[in-house]
Amino acid sequence: MATKNLLYTNPKLCQHLADYKLRQGLSGYKSLQNCLKTTPNGRTSIYKWDTEIPRCCFCNGYQGRLFLCLICSSISCSSHALLHAQSEDGHDVVVDIERSELYCCLCSDQVYDPDFDKVVVSKNMMDMPNNTYTVDDGIRRSSKRRKVNSLMDLDFRKSKRLVSMRDRREKSCYPLGLRGLNNLGSTCFMNSVLQALLHAPPFRNYFLSGRHDRETCKKRSADRLCLACNIDVIFSAVYSGDRTPYSPAQVLYSWWQHSAKLNLASYEQQDAHEFFISVLDGIHEREGNGRTPTKDNGDCQCIAHRVFSGLLRSDVTCMACGSTSTTYDPCLDISLNMDTSNFSSIDVANKSVTPKENSGICTLSACLDLFSRPEKLGSDQKLYCQNCQEKQDSFKQMSISRLPLVLSLHIKRFEHSVVRRMARKIDWHLQFPFSLDMTSYLSSSIVRNRLGNRIFTFENNEADTSAEFEIFAVITHSGMLESGHYVTYLRLRNQWYKCDDAWITEVDEATVRASQCYMIFYAQKMLYYKANDGLSCMPLSPMRDPFFPIAGCC
Amino acid sequence: MSGPNDDNMSPHTQLSSHFFGDLLDSIIVDVASECHRIAKLGLDRNLEEEEEELRLSTQARVRAADPSNSGEANSKYVVDIFGQTHPPVANEIFECMNCGRSIMAGRFAPHLEKCMGKGRKARLKATRSSTAAQNRYSRGSPVSTYSPYSNSSSTNRLSNGTPGVAGEEYSNGTLEEP
Repeated sequence: MATKNLLYTNPKLCQHLADYKLRQGLSGYKSLQNCLKTTPNGRTSIYKWDTEIPRCCFCNGYQGRLFLCLICSSISCSSHALLHAQSEDGHDVVVDIERSELYCCLCSDQVYDPDFDKVVVSKNMMDMPNNTYTVDDGIRRSSKRRKVNSLMDLDFRKSKRLVSMRDRREKSCYPLGLRGLNNLGSTCFMNSVLQALLHAPPFRNYFLSGRHDRETCKKRSADRLCLACNIDVIFSAVYSGDRTPYSPAQVLYSWWQHSAKLNLASYEQQDAHEFFISVLDGIHEREGNGRTPTKDNGDCQCIAHRVFSGLLRSDVTCMACGSTSTTYDPCLDISLNMDTSNFSSIDVANKSVTPKENSGICTLSACLDLFSRPEKLGSDQKLYCQNCQEKQDSFKQMSISRLPLVLSLHIKRFEHSVVRRMARKIDWHLQFPFSLDMTSYLSSSIVRNRLGNRIFTFENNEADTSAEFEIFAVITHSGMLESGHYVTYLRLRNQWYKCDDAWITEVDEATVRASQCYMIFYAQKMLYYKANDGLSCMPLSPMRDPFFPIAGCC
Repeated sequence: MSGPNDDNMSPHTQLSSHFFGDLLDSIIVDVASECHRIAKLGLDRNLEEEEEELRLSTQARVRAADPSNSGEANSKYVVDIFGQTHPPVANEIFECMNCGRSIMAGRFAPHLEKCMGKGRKARLKATRSSTAAQNRYSRGSPVSTYSPYSNSSSTNRLSNGTPGVAGEEYSNGTLEEP
C-alpha cells in the first residue's frame, strides 16, 4: 500500500553514514528503539539514564547538545564529538540525545537516513496505537478518480458539440461564457458568485453537456422549483454567444424561495459567501435526492459536492500523553481568518481595522498556516483523554484530508459580534498567488510535521491526486460593510476579465493582484489547463462547417 | 550564557539566568534542527515561487496606489469589451414570475421582495413592533454568521445578521409560498 513518496527528495547518505550502515546494518538503530520516547509535541528523545544525567566523556559537561555514539554508546558534547570520531576509528555517526537526529562528526553536519526515521516513527506508532496515522482510505479514492475522469472526458466531448452552435449575434472573438449579468437591485452578491460558478471547470462541463435534464426534472417534481434547473438555464444563456447582459431573475426567485426555509431575508446587501453556500445547498437538495446528510458527503453524487466538496481532518492531542483523536468533516469551502499578527489598532468608531505603518503583508499562505496551526484549547475546554483517564489540556490541529476539484477559499473580512454589538470589515489587503500548492496543508504533511518531518510513507493515496491549483476566479468586495459592491475577476486563457454586473472589461494581472479579495476560487491544475485549452473561439468563416472541430480549439 | 553583570547578581538570579540560557539555547537548536531537516529533505520547494508572487503583488499594489493610474473600483465605464454600453439601472423589461406584471430589471429585486411578502418593508406592515426595524445590525449587513465547517445541508445554519433579532422578525409575516 505504500505509495511512492513524492514529497521528499531522498537524502543522499554521507560517505561516513553509508560506511557505518554497510558494517552495522540496522542493528544500531534497532537497539536504540526501546529508549526512544516521543513527547506530545512531536519531539523524540533518548531516555536511558535513570540514575544519573548524561555527561560528555571528555569534559564531563552536561549542557548544550549531547551526542550518543551509535557504536560504543559513549556520550560527547558538541565541542568534543569530533574528538571522539578521531580517537575511535569508525565511530563517526552519533545521535543527538534530545532530538534523535543523526549527526556525522566528520562532516560536522546533521544527516538523514530513511531507515532511522522509520525506526523512530515505528516506535511512536507502537507507543500510541490509537492515534490515526493513516490519512485516507484508498478504496473510495480510486472510485472517485474514475468519476472525476468520466466527468472530464465524457462531458468535455459532449460540450464541444454544444459549444459549436454559435449565435449569429456574437460580437467578437472573446472566450465563450463571457456575458454580463444585470444587477436586479443590489444583487451584485448573486452576480459575482454566478460568474465564478459559470467558469468552474467541472461544474461548467456538467451543465454544458446537458447532464442536468430539465425536462426529466420538471416531470419528476411537478412545479417544485429546482435551483439546478435555473442554473442550467443560465449556463445555456451565458454560453449561447449572445453578449447582451442577462438578467438572472429566475435564480433570484428560486433562491429566495429556497432560503425562506433558512430564514434569509431581504434582497438588501446580502453576503456573497452565504449565497454561494446556499446555492450549492439548494442544488444538493434536489440532485442528492433529498438525502439526509451523512457524515461523509464525499459520497454524495450531486454535482455541487462532486465539484466543491473536500474533507477536513481535525486532530485533538492530549498535551500530557500525546494520544490523539481524529475526526473528519466534509466542507464545501474553507473559511480563513486573516492573520492578525502584524496588525493592531482597531478603530471601532469607523468600524475599520487599520494596519500599522510599514507593517508586514498579510498573505494567503499566512492565513492557511494559521488555519492549520496547532491551537491550544482553552483551559475551560479540557477534553477527556482516554489514555490518561482524566480531563487534560489539549491542542487541536486542522488539516485537509481530501482536496476538492475546485477549492473555494473564503476570507473572513466581515466580523459580527453579538456580544460587543458591533460589526466590522477588515480592509487590509491580502496577497494571494495565482498558482497555489496545497501540499503543506494536507493531512499527510501536517501529521508528518507533527512527528518531526520524519521520512516515512504514511498509508495514503494523496500522492495520486495533485495538490496544485490554478486560480480562475476572484470575488472582491469594495466599500463599507453595509454599502459595498462585489465584483468578480475571471481568468480565461491567461487573460483576466472584470465582471462588474453588466460590464465585462479586460484588466491586467496587476489590477487583480491589488484588489481586495473576498472569495478565491482555484481549480486543480489539470482541470484548469484542460478547460482553458478548449475555450478558443473560432473565427466564423462561411466556408467552414461550424460543427467541424478544429484541432486545438473547442 | 552569562549575564552582563554576573557579580552584581545574587546566586539565585545567576542560577535562574543560567537555566534560562540553557533552555533558550535548546529551543534555538530545536528550530535550527527542524529547519535544517526541512531544507535538506526539500520540503520547502516552493520558496522561490512564493517570493515571486509576493514581489508581483507588492508591485501591483504600488501601481494601484499611484494616483496617476485610473481608479479601478468605481471607474466610469464607456464601453465593455463587446463594444456595448449599459445604463446605471438595467432597463431590460420582463414579467415577474410571481405576479405577472412587467418589471424593469434593475428594480426587479425590490419588487419581488414586496411581491413575495418578504423583506423589511413588507414585514413592517405585518409586524406591530417597529423597533425591530430600527436595529442597525439588521440582516442587511453582509456578515457571515454560520459555522464554517458544518454540513452544508444543516438547516439551522444560516441566519443573516443578529440571531436573536432575526428570529423575532421572521416569526411574523413570512408568508409561505403558494
